[in-house]
Parts: sequence; C-alpha cells; structure tokens
Amino acid sequence: MEAVLKNLSSTVELLAVAAYSGTVEQWEKYNVSRAFDWARYCEHIYSRYHSNPAIRRVMEQQLELTNQSLQDVIPGYTEVSFSDLPRLQHLLLVGLLNNPEVPISLLKMLFDTRGPVDNMKSEYQDVTGLCSHIIQCKAACKVLSPLTELSAAGAEVQGRMLMERLGALLSRGSDTRPAEHFLGCVLQECEGAGRQFCLVITAALLTTKNSAAQTAPREFLLDWLQNKHSVLQSLPATLLIDLAKEHKKFRDAYCDVLKKWASDMEYIISEGEWVQTSTNPTVSFQKLTERFMALFEACPSLRAKTEKELKALKISDGDFDVKGLSVWGDLLSALNM
Amino acid sequence: MKKLPLLGQFLGRLCWNPYVTAGDTSRNLLLQCLWGLYSEHPSNAVERKANQWIRKVLCQLATEEDDGVAQALMKHMGVPAKEYHLNVLTKMVALLQENVGKSCCSLSNINQRCSCDNILATSDACVPLITCPEASPLIGALLQQPVTCVKEALSEDFLDALSSAYSSRNLSLEEQALVSLWHHSLPSLEEAVLSLLESVTNTTSTPQMLHQQVAQSLLPKACAQHCSLFLVTNDIFRSVLKQAEGNESVKSLVQTFTRCFLWELALLQPQTSVSLKAFFPQSPPSLLVPLLTLPSEMPQESWRNHLNWLSGSLQRLTEEEEEGNGDSRSTRGHYKVFETWFLLVQCAHWVQAAVQLLVTSPEDCGPLLRLLTFYHHPTNRWHHRALQLVGAREAWEHLRSVFSVSARPPIDRLQSLVTLPSSPAPLLTLSLLVNFAVFCQQPLSVSTEILQTVVHHSGLVDEAACVLSSLELRLSEGSCLSNDRVHLRIKELQKTLTHMH
Repeated sequence: MEAVLKNLSSTVELLAVAAYSGTVEQWEKYNVSRAFDWARYCEHIYSRYHSNPAIRRVMEQQLELTNQSLQDVIPGYTEVSFSDLPRLQHLLLVGLLNNPEVPISLLKMLFDTRGPVDNMKSEYQDVTGLCSHIIQCKAACKVLSPLTELSAAGAEVQGRMLMERLGALLSRGSDTRPAEHFLGCVLQECEGAGRQFCLVITAALLTTKNSAAQTAPREFLLDWLQNKHSVLQSLPATLLIDLAKEHKKFRDAYCDVLKKWASDMEYIISEGEWVQTSTNPTVSFQKLTERFMALFEACPSLRAKTEKELKALKISDGDFDVKGLSVWGDLLSALNM
Repeated sequence: MKKLPLLGQFLGRLCWNPYVTAGDTSRNLLLQCLWGLYSEHPSNAVERKANQWIRKVLCQLATEEDDGVAQALMKHMGVPAKEYHLNVLTKMVALLQENVGKSCCSLSNINQRCSCDNILATSDACVPLITCPEASPLIGALLQQPVTCVKEALSEDFLDALSSAYSSRNLSLEEQALVSLWHHSLPSLEEAVLSLLESVTNTTSTPQMLHQQVAQSLLPKACAQHCSLFLVTNDIFRSVLKQAEGNESVKSLVQTFTRCFLWELALLQPQTSVSLKAFFPQSPPSLLVPLLTLPSEMPQESWRNHLNWLSGSLQRLTEEEEEGNGDSRSTRGHYKVFETWFLLVQCAHWVQAAVQLLVTSPEDCGPLLRLLTFYHHPTNRWHHRALQLVGAREAWEHLRSVFSVSARPPIDRLQSLVTLPSSPAPLLTLSLLVNFAVFCQQPLSVSTEILQTVVHHSGLVDEAACVLSSLELRLSEGSCLSNDRVHLRIKELQKTLTHMH
C-alpha cells in the first residue's frame, strides 16, 4: 500500500511538472510515453480501489498532502482530486498541450498521423498520433451526424453512460446520496444545455425500458425527475405518458406537476388566455389540456380522482362558471368534466 | 506569412472544418502547414504571437468540448475524452450501418421512395473516412449492399478513394467487400488485374508459387461470383497476349487463373451445371467442354483419341478461317483463330498431356505435334506453320533417338539441342526434353546427365525447372496413376537442376 501511495503522489507531481514546469523542454518521446503509462497506472488504481471506502480515504488523504505541497510551490495550481483519477491521462494531455515550454517536436509527435499500429514494439505505450486520433474521431462524428437523426447517437451514448454510472453508484449500498449528488452536478453543469440534457435523459429512459438489469437506476432516475420540473416539462410528451403508464408513483407525480403548472397560470385579459407566469414558460393552456387528456387516456383510473380534486379546487376559487376567473373551472370545462 | 497575411486566418478556419480534419491526408497536410508557420526561434513579436496561436489552436482541437452535456458527463463520470468520442463514433457507425442494411430499393413497391439517395449521401460522407478504422464496418456495409436500383448508388468519389487507398496499401478490405468494390468500379478491377500481371512477369516463380499468388489475389473468387468480372479480366489477358504471344509467363498465368477460377466456380455451384457459354461467350462452342475437361478426369487410355479429335478440330477451324479470307487481310478472319488459341492457352493442361503422350507412346505423333506447334505458334505468319511443324518433328525424333540409346550419348549428338534458345520453338523442345528425361526407360543417371548437359550449355536452367515443377503439379493433383518411379525421377532431376545454380 505504501508503494502505491508513493506512486500516486509521484504521478500527481509528474502531472504538475508536465503542466507547469519548464523542465518539459528537455523531455523526449520516451518521457511522454512513461508519463502516460504512470497516468494509466493511476487510472487502474482508481478502478480497483474506488469502491473500497477505507483505501479510498487513505488515498484521498495522500492526495491532499501532495496537492498542498504543490500548491505552495506552483502558483495557480489546480488540485487533482480522487475523482479525477480515472481521467488522469486526459488531464496529463491537457496539461502538456497548455504548457508553452513543451518542445515542438513532442507536439509534432502527438499530432502525427497514426501509422499501422505496432503493438509489440516497445514496452511503453505508443503515444504517437494520440491527438491526431482524437481529432479524427471528433471530426468523423461531426461528418456523420447529418446522416443520423440529430444528436441521436451522441444522446444515446450519453444516456447509456448515465445509467451505467447510476447503476454503479446505487449498487454500492443503500445510500442514495452519491447518486443524487452525481445527477445534481451533471444538471448544474448542463445549465446552458438544457435541451441536450433532456435528450440524454430521454435516451437513458428509452434504452433501459426493457432491461431487467437496469430497473434500479431507472426507478431512481424517475424518482429524481419528479422534483425536477424544469426537466420534466422539456421531455417529450409521449415519453411522459409511457412512463406514467408504467409507474403509479410517476403517474401521481406527473399529475401533480400538471396541476402545479396550472396553478402557476394567470389569465391575461388582452389575450383571452391563461399563461404561465414562471420564468421559463413553455406550456400553453392548450398544451396543458392536451397533456391532461393524454394522461387520462393512458391511465383511466386517474380521471375520476383528478376530477374530484379539480372540482374541489374550483369550489375553493368561488365555484364560478365564468371563463377567466378560475383556472380550475376552465380546465374542467376544457376537459369536458 | 508576409506575402499572404490572411493565410493564417484561412488555416485557422480550416482547422475547425471537420471534413478537413477527418481525413488522414488532409489532416496531415493541414498540420504540415501549421508546422511550417511555426518558428523554432522566434525573432520578433509577430513570430512569437504566431507560435502562441498555433499552440492554442492545437490544444483546443485536441481537448475542447463544445457539447456541454458531454463535458459534464465526462467530468463527473471519469470518462476520458478519447474513450467517449470513440464510443460515440462506434455507435454512429452502427446506426448508419443498420440504416444501410434496412434500406433496399424494392421494385415491388413503386410508391416507396427510393432510398438510394440516402446511400449515395452516406457514401459521399464516408469519403474522408476511408482510412479511419472505426468507420470500416460502415464502408463494408455500403459496399456489400445488394445492387437493386437502376441508379448508381455509390458515389464515384467514394469508389475512387477506396480504390486508390487499397492499391497504395493504406486500407485492408475484407474479401467480400473487395469483390463488391471490383464489381462497382471497373477501374479498380483493372488495376488489380494489371498489378497481378506485373507481379507475375517481374519475378520468376514456380508453378506452385504462381498458383498461390493467383489464389491470394482473390480475383478468381470474384470472377466466379460475377460473370462480368471474368469477362473483363479475360479481355485484359487477351490484349496482353495479342501484343506478346510468346510470353510464357503470361500464358502460364492465364492457365493458372482459369484453373483457379473453375475451381472457385465449382465450389460456388456444386450441384447445378453451369452454363459455361456465359463465361466463355467468344470461344468456339464445340471445343469448350472438351478443352475444359481436365486430363485427370479422363482415363489415360482415352487421352490419345481425345487429343486427336482436338487436334483435328483445331486444324479444321484454323484452316477454315485462313482459307475463307484468303486475300482479304482483315483481322476479322483471324478472330476465330485467336479465340481458339486463347481457349487453348486457358486450357493448356491438354498441351502438357500431349507432350507426355508424345514421349510415352510415340506412334502416330502427327496430330499431337500439330497441336503443340499451334500452341507455340498460333499465327501463320508468312505461312511458316508447315515449316515449324517440320522443325518440331525433327526435334522430337532427335530427342527420341538420344534417349533410346542406353549408353551415354557423345556430346556431338547433343549439339543441336545445345543451341536450343535459337531454335524456332525452344520451349517446345525443352518440354519434350524434360518429359523424355522423366518418362523414358533409361536409367536415371543417363537421363540426368543428358538433361544436365543440354540445360547447362543452353542456359535454360530456370525454364527447365519450371517445366519440371508444372509436370509434378499436374501429376500429383490429378488422380493420374502416377507411380513412385516417376515421382522419384522428378525429384532427382529437380535436385540436379537446383544444384546447377
């Protein structure tokens, strides 16, 4: 264990050297290969030990020490945390490319076009053409994507990854907090790409529909979604109906969401319409009605119950039969209840 | 940069164009341009800025993500960018592959929109990705999609790019994909046939090696699957032979190729009797089946009759043509003669059988000698055929007498044979010589010495070895009752010849 910790610490220091120091000026291809090998070693360490809380704690402590000492020496140093370990090779690459002292010959080597792969040549990983390959993959995706449905492949891969990760987090124990934290972090990062995030969630739910192994993460995701109205309202209506059909809890939650949307509405006299007053209005009264109808069609048992609730709400609003005074009344008449 | 200051901007824009960065060659060129702009020892601010900019662009290209969700996922899931992009690409390729497989222009439903446009667009999009290994399943699927539509489904750029990548060995294709490529694009087939011809004529190879080369080129297999490919290949062979009818390596290539082709054809359609006429439309139909039958498929006793009949038919055909067009020197007249001869070249196993028969049972050698003379000298230029026939008979008789004397013949008897290369039909005489050495009743030592002397003095060691090898090949693969004695003699003679190098 001692040796492993030492290696871990040394690799993080190596990364710092690669990213911030001028000694890389003297590096050659063999140094770069070795650095990547060490990074790969740390990735391997992570995959072996990340589910072991005791060892994880020890490693985190070691990392903290190393980070501290590096921070004292290097201005503007960004810490390497335990959860960064599985991407260490990528971080090394980013560091190298951002370091202006890296000799141009190394860059040329990294961007060289990969020839036929020669696996047996050296003991060290062949890093020639590493960047070239990445660029090729990215470009190839862009070239091929007009032929597929927009973002279909990307969203599907992301959805799959998401579910895998959830599954892994949930299988560790009964504590759901890491999974919630994960989803929360991702959502937060995707703040600007709300639509893309919804596509991913959609794909995630669709691909795991019939998969027996994925029921736990799927349930968890559905639970989590119930409170995230901003995401819910951007999901495709058909998907929501399917989900409502499947899960009773989701059904009730979805109904609650629809009711909440209704309660947020205000009547605009000039337009003669109910309009949502929240910051991101996306549902019109018409759409809301359609959604209710679709929901009742899919889940007939809900109709009676909801009718009672809506009637009660209408009564609490004064029980008028005039349009524009109570959203509940107008809803009831639109739904022919 | 001084002359064209906007060059930097242009290059910068190109870096972000995926159609440029996806293809190996274009990406390479772009990077070479960038390296060219980089100054190792910057001497002024402009150069320093340029250096900085180049580094920044490269860093961005390799590490920046424009997809926010992807970045979030990668960061929180610990998936490195390379793995992520690889996954996405693989998934996309699989999706497109599925689409290609599904779309099929079915003539039954005319109202259904032709999906060939999709395939065309996909093939166009794949042009920069030809050498990308992750895209190869899609390329294979595109190539092997059944050709059902009247319109050309695959873009020409795509086929051209594939063809040149394959021939410069930047790409490896699976067998069926290669066959489809040849089927779609005739230029690529022509290139394959020409490169086979080149490799065969540049190196002297034994018959076994030749067989292997031909089989490995996958051309026989492709031709067995598509009749049109066989016809084109044969046309190429025809034009080569018309210009160089004496070229023995090309002749043996044609023979080996035809044999491999027939074997592949038999594999493909074991039960049904193939309409050979479709594959050999220009050959005289009466000779087709008799010539294509292998000697090993017939009992040895019936060879003579068969060969006599063949010889007679050939003679009739050639004389018809030549006399029929006596005065008119049109090439039309010799068309049939050429096709007959070409078919004989394709089925040269009968020529070899004739040589063997001449040596082992020498009665009534007339028809056999005529057959051999025709094979080696198809054109009756200056009406020399009669003369060549006489020369062939003389050579045969001379050899017979040399090999029938039980004592070692004196050197002067072999004199005329020694001047082999300058004689009218050196290869005819040489094959007779080798066959005599193998099949005669003389003790092996005598035969060996005769062969050795003649070959050494005439300098035709390699050619003799070739004849010997092809004889061995023919005897061992057929069900000829080749006894041990013959094989032993062949082996010994081969040893002698190899020691002569």
